[in-house]
Amino acid sequence: MGKEQNNSDNKKKQALKTYIKRNGSVVIFIIICIIAALFVPRFASANNLLLIVKQSAIPIIACIGMTMVLMTGGIDLSLGYTIGLCSTIVGMLVKTHEMAYIPAILITLGVGSVIGLINGFCVQSIKVPAFITTLGTGYIIYGIAEIVSHGESVNRLPKGFLAIGKTELLGLNTTVLISAIICIVFYYILHKSTFGRNLSAFGLSEPASRLSGVATARINVTVYVVSSVLAALVGILLSIDVNCAQPTMGGGGYTFEIITGAVLGGVSLFGGIGSVIGAMFGVMTIKVIGNCINLMNAAYYLYDAIMGIIILAAIIFENVKNRKL
Amino acid sequence: MKISKKTILIAGAVILFLIVGSRIPNYLTVKNIFNVIRQSSIVSLVAYGMTMVIIVKGIDLSVGGIIASCAMISGLMMKSGVSIWLAIGTGLLAGALMGLFNGIMVEKLEVPAFITTLVVGQVASGIALMLNGGGSLGGFPKEYVFIGNGTILGMPISNYITFIFCIVSALIMGRTRLGTYIYALGGNDMVVKQQGISTAKINYFVFAFSGFCAAVAGILLSAQMNTVHPTQGGNYQLDAVAACVIGGVNMAGGEGKVYLSLVGALLIGFLRNGLNLYGLHPFYQNLVIGVIIIVIVAVSIYNRNKKIEAAKVF
Amino acid sequence: MSKTILKMDHITKFIFDAYGKPIRGTDVKILEDVHFDVCESEVHILIGENGAGKSTLMKILGGIIPQDEGTVELFGKEVHFTNPKQAEEMGVGFIHQELNLCPNLSVAENLFLGREITGKGNVFSKKKQMCDESRQMLMRLGFDIDPNVLVRNLSTAQQQIVEIVKAISCDSKIIIMDEPTASLTQTEIDHLFDIIRSMKKQGISIIYISHRFEELKEIGDRLTVLRDGCYVGTIDMADFSHDKVISMMVGRTLGQMYTCTHTPQKEEVLRVEGLKIGPHTEPLNLHVNKGEVVGIGGLVGAGRTEVAKSVFGARKFYGGKIIYKGEEITKPTPKSMIQKGLMYLTEDRKIEGLVLRMNIEQNITLASLSEMFKNGYIRRNEEEKASDEMIKNLNIVCTSGEQLANTLSGGNQQKVALAKWLNSKPMLLILDEPTRGIDVNAKSEIYQIIDDLAKQGVAILMISSELPELIGMSDRIYVMRRGTISAELTDREEFKQETILSHTI
Repeated sequence: MGKEQNNSDNKKKQALKTYIKRNGSVVIFIIICIIAALFVPRFASANNLLLIVKQSAIPIIACIGMTMVLMTGGIDLSLGYTIGLCSTIVGMLVKTHEMAYIPAILITLGVGSVIGLINGFCVQSIKVPAFITTLGTGYIIYGIAEIVSHGESVNRLPKGFLAIGKTELLGLNTTVLISAIICIVFYYILHKSTFGRNLSAFGLSEPASRLSGVATARINVTVYVVSSVLAALVGILLSIDVNCAQPTMGGGGYTFEIITGAVLGGVSLFGGIGSVIGAMFGVMTIKVIGNCINLMNAAYYLYDAIMGIIILAAIIFENVKNRKL
Repeated sequence: MKISKKTILIAGAVILFLIVGSRIPNYLTVKNIFNVIRQSSIVSLVAYGMTMVIIVKGIDLSVGGIIASCAMISGLMMKSGVSIWLAIGTGLLAGALMGLFNGIMVEKLEVPAFITTLVVGQVASGIALMLNGGGSLGGFPKEYVFIGNGTILGMPISNYITFIFCIVSALIMGRTRLGTYIYALGGNDMVVKQQGISTAKINYFVFAFSGFCAAVAGILLSAQMNTVHPTQGGNYQLDAVAACVIGGVNMAGGEGKVYLSLVGALLIGFLRNGLNLYGLHPFYQNLVIGVIIIVIVAVSIYNRNKKIEAAKVF
Repeated sequence: MSKTILKMDHITKFIFDAYGKPIRGTDVKILEDVHFDVCESEVHILIGENGAGKSTLMKILGGIIPQDEGTVELFGKEVHFTNPKQAEEMGVGFIHQELNLCPNLSVAENLFLGREITGKGNVFSKKKQMCDESRQMLMRLGFDIDPNVLVRNLSTAQQQIVEIVKAISCDSKIIIMDEPTASLTQTEIDHLFDIIRSMKKQGISIIYISHRFEELKEIGDRLTVLRDGCYVGTIDMADFSHDKVISMMVGRTLGQMYTCTHTPQKEEVLRVEGLKIGPHTEPLNLHVNKGEVVGIGGLVGAGRTEVAKSVFGARKFYGGKIIYKGEEITKPTPKSMIQKGLMYLTEDRKIEGLVLRMNIEQNITLASLSEMFKNGYIRRNEEEKASDEMIKNLNIVCTSGEQLANTLSGGNQQKVALAKWLNSKPMLLILDEPTRGIDVNAKSEIYQIIDDLAKQGVAILMISSELPELIGMSDRIYVMRRGTISAELTDREEFKQETILSHTI
């Protein structure tokens, strides 16, 4: 009798443990929110929480792409620069060249996919390490963005274009809704479709999945294309958000923030493990911390150091956890 | 094979030099050459440490952050009235410690080097921002500025520092047992372990040395500019990686010479300088360097794969 | 007889993982109660089939892994090595089959690695002195290799010479050579033998592992045979005869483990014509019929796995035709071949066979995931059903399909890898060492499965180093040697271990 009791207790504990292990990002998010609500004045207001959601919406899109790249065991350091280039391109197309919005957006996304194809080609076919490839292409992309824009930003974008991201619907703006749709689509792709399972298998063991008939080369290229296309979308949405298109949008710091979000979201840096929910909560955790720094009137320059220390802690934590298993 | 690679590199440098030089006024003067070397000093210094790190199959992406934070530490100390030598010493120590931390993460936690160093670099640049409230710092003591801008016997002091560190690093790699172990670790780590040599110590040294070199570079940069800006680290890591790659350091580890990395850094310097004098906008420079890195790495990887293929026997 | 300098007694070693630690939950022994001794200045040959335990025994002697039971006595003293360095200091040099030098360092640097000659303060190496000494060491053995040359730029034979010189220069009294002639030409081999003879004169003993009978007689003094991890016997080379040694190497009884109740059909499934697995190998032909179990024997490194991977599209090959079910396959890829029903169970289940950090269920459905994908999502319940069925049919011991693959024992891991293919309904299944490193019960279960598959009309191509397994299971046997097929045995009466073995070496 007592033993059975023990057993069921153990099982519950086990179930809780697996839940925490699988959804560590959610747990971290909740803990940080509770701490913030207790100690940071004005944190726990509906308006503030809404603000956090709005701030998280755009980086979550980029983070999903980065999560997929990290799941293959690669990394996309060009992501931030792709955002800058795509911001520049869409801004110039709709303002300077007065192009219709839909073609302009499609062209921008097309540019993103070309960047992704180049990254994917270098990594998969020429076997250049991902961090070298994307570091290199990142600088190339930044150079192109500066050349295209002559180093100038495009301000005051057309109203109709801004409406794409700023229209209020159901109490939220369209940017948040676009982000939500992307999350749902990629949740489906990563967790319900064969692609997601194959991606995971590829990240965990390239030889085993290739010999099991997984199209590993195609997956490896696809993730870079997805990452860059999502970065292009982020470039468009960010331009709308700040009503300005410029090459310095995004950049290396933004890439880093996205990687931090992905790592907080439980992506394994050795590949194979990652989730859309993780990416969402990872980014939101960052934004909560940034929000607290703001609300406590601490200086913005603390942000970088704190972000770095958080990701460092997350990496060490993950490593220690893996050691124990 | 080995000789031809070197020959190509040097011949390429000379040809580039002469072609560009003949077309641009004031390019091939002693003054401009000294000036380019001075401009390349930061990249060169970083490249020495980077060369060692890449030889042990790592990479150091933290140098940008270390450049800014160490210069900031030294600068703040000087501003608060500490003697400049103590300030410089502390800055250098901080750099070495940050590098050592990279080494510990890579060796003990087996975190991939590019992730560890990326993150440590971010923390370091965060520290640079934090220490002075996000602002820049300037107006350093005369002696300090002299290090960056003075000349001895007509050559800038920066150039002396560049060459001295090159000689020291080359001595470590070429003449000491430690240097042999560094190459051995990059070539075949199993052999190193079997000989009872501690791979941990080698990794610690290499990463700490890279951090130290970056700190030297950061302090020299701040002396040259007479300011420290928290985002000063900027492009240097890419340029340093590029310098190594151009200098023939193998990204797969085990191969590379410090002095060739210096040649690589100078090549980049002359390239940037030439493009500048030629009237090309700096935007093009990053683009060119990005392309150069990818192409060189791709070609070397392609060649290596072909060799492996050819070596298979039954 | 000269005095004995090494005695290894009652050596037992359980199966171990890559780090030399015993694997939990199995009691498979790689070595069981093995004896081995070496006298002063003799060449002692160690021979046995693949998996007989030669390498493991030598790894114990070389301090790379510890023994679980038994004693090692060196120069009359009992020793316990915990790392290779200790063995080296006690005079045991190990020349591994794979290169054990730093290719990017010079010959001199390799010879002195870890014991550099340094000047004052123990910091700077005396390069010139090391170079001179290296040159002298090389000269003493009659080699004219420049000590400044990078090892990478030497030929394989020269690299081996450097390893030998390194072993001698460490004052080794016993040098282990693991298949040193595997990649040498005849002149290089002759030269190597000259060195071995001159080392013998200097009082150095050599433990020589090789499969090439023609060499053994030329160089050996005594010969010890291992079989299945057990000591068979030691003979003087004066008593050496081909048949005698082969009978010592085989002699294994064919147990009742094998079930062979299927009958091959006439319909041909796979035909390979003129396949060249390497740029310089001889072309080979083979074919497999429906419901037939075809064995491929041969030594490790003879190119068996390469044949399988070439047909499966997992590696590039250098010419030849692959005809599968009457259709010529021009550009095979694993994906396309799996869709056509040709599957390959790899010999390396931990790296190539399973995604170890995925659970059993996900591993089983990995190759047939598209069948579980209906109406827009992966049907978890169908996946579960399929995997539960496989777990039941193959008797995979586990708590549930949710268990991670890396927590299973070797035999159960192999069954999961097999289940992955069975779930994809194979027409032709290539099995590469299907029973390597797994216990007896799991082995006989796997034989049963193979027989059942053949009965259902599946064509089986089975690569194996275990001769009884080949003989017990196959309808036909191909034997491979040096990258090509050296014999085809079609008559079951011909299936003798001696016959097969004589075609492999």
